[in-house]
Amino acid sequence: MHHAYIDKFAYQDSAIHRLDSRVKFLVVLVFTAVVISLPRSSLSILVCYAIGPFALLVWAGIPLKFVFKQILLVSPFVLVLALSCPLYDRTPVAVSFGPFSWQSSLGWIRCFVILGKFVVTMLALIGLVSTTRFSDLLAGLQKLGLPRLLIIQLGFLYRYIFVLIDRAHHILRARAGRKLRNLGFKTELRTAASMLGSLFIRSIDTAEHISTAMQARGFDGNWHTISKLQVRRCDLIFVLTAAAFISGLYFLVKPVLQ
Amino acid sequence: MHKAIEIKNFTYGYPDGTAALSDISLSVEHGRKVALIGPNGAGKSTLLLVMAGFARGTGKVLVDGLEINNKNLKKIRTRLGCCLENPDDQLFMPTLFDDVAFGPLNMGLSPEQVKARVAEALATVGLAQMADKAPHHLSAGQKRAAAVATILAMSPRIITLDEPDGSLDPRNRNNLMMLLRSLSQTLIIATCNMNFAASIAERAVLLDKGRIIADGEAKEIMSDVELMTEHGLEAIAKK
Repeated sequence: MHHAYIDKFAYQDSAIHRLDSRVKFLVVLVFTAVVISLPRSSLSILVCYAIGPFALLVWAGIPLKFVFKQILLVSPFVLVLALSCPLYDRTPVAVSFGPFSWQSSLGWIRCFVILGKFVVTMLALIGLVSTTRFSDLLAGLQKLGLPRLLIIQLGFLYRYIFVLIDRAHHILRARAGRKLRNLGFKTELRTAASMLGSLFIRSIDTAEHISTAMQARGFDGNWHTISKLQVRRCDLIFVLTAAAFISGLYFLVKPVLQ
Repeated sequence: MHKAIEIKNFTYGYPDGTAALSDISLSVEHGRKVALIGPNGAGKSTLLLVMAGFARGTGKVLVDGLEINNKNLKKIRTRLGCCLENPDDQLFMPTLFDDVAFGPLNMGLSPEQVKARVAEALATVGLAQMADKAPHHLSAGQKRAAAVATILAMSPRIITLDEPDGSLDPRNRNNLMMLLRSLSQTLIIATCNMNFAASIAERAVLLDKGRIIADGEAKEIMSDVELMTEHGLEAIAKK
């Protein structure tokens, strides 16, 4: 079965793809923190900040249709939060854009700022996962000092989530093939519970088999890995450029736009 | 010289009391290719788990001269590599490189040695260009070959494979056959596919209901129509 892997474009080759995962992660982390900390009423600066991740996505050859699809996928949660702002904050404010000016409420401004921050940070995050293989990202996070147990669990999650989804699809297909009439809510619920139970038991089986495979290859509880990560000159240039972009906008452009 | 595998009067039962293996006696010399054949539930997979030290019962089991006990287990695991039935269980790391390197790293080899072993094992199974791929991006045939590579990287003297031909198309099955034939290690293959077994193994051990029914020259046993039919298997054509 084919899945929409979150890192499906991470196997391409570009200057951005070749950057060290730790460097990309740290830059995205700082970028996200700065964007989130921007004042709640500054919309124009967000457009400037969007240029950075947008340019990197284009440079890395990531299809923008894919990027916006991903953003739309997770947008409902933020949409609910953003759209609730105009309801509780109706303080009138004057808005101007070039020669145009009109009256609005602070709630609507906040709503657009929340959506703007969401889109900009998502662009950066998608840029990170679409140009970095998940395994490299994990290796980078481990080097940055994240707990090894968490890294191992994330690795297993990424490896087996698709196996689990496949199994769930197979079970659903088997049910659909034999479900010829409406069974009623109670029977449907019972069937769903059985299906979940079957999936759970098979997951335990898989876990036992994996444990056997690990022990068969000498695993004694200590996790050993070889790191292939290396910070090169291009990584340093990327960090300096990103730092100049983020701080330049923050200290030079933001006061002008406010 | 030690035998690769030596089992004497071994009996094993599941926790619910069902007898899985009864009075098994079997010895395999080094360098031999042996097929464990039998219907579903005959005890083939359990016997492979016994050889790898994952199932303990009564009787004696020696692997490369070492008796299976907690003290010898680590040594045994470097001498006997076991490949599970489902390659998705065998390939659990984020990349193929990490998966193949997992065993050698646990053996305490240096990073350079590990890299050399990984490169050699992947080249042997024809996946040299796939080292950085995630296992879920591999085809069924590639996953099977990768599972064998995870074992080869540990340079074991004995390799056990559980239904290695399962869910493979003819081309991938032929590729796997050629790969297994080319290996110099002792191979013990559990399978229900007689043609696959006959093309690799020179010796066959027929198991049914946890007992050894026949043990001898592979083609002779597998072409015995009466014996094969009696135990729910297909006989191969006599040549």
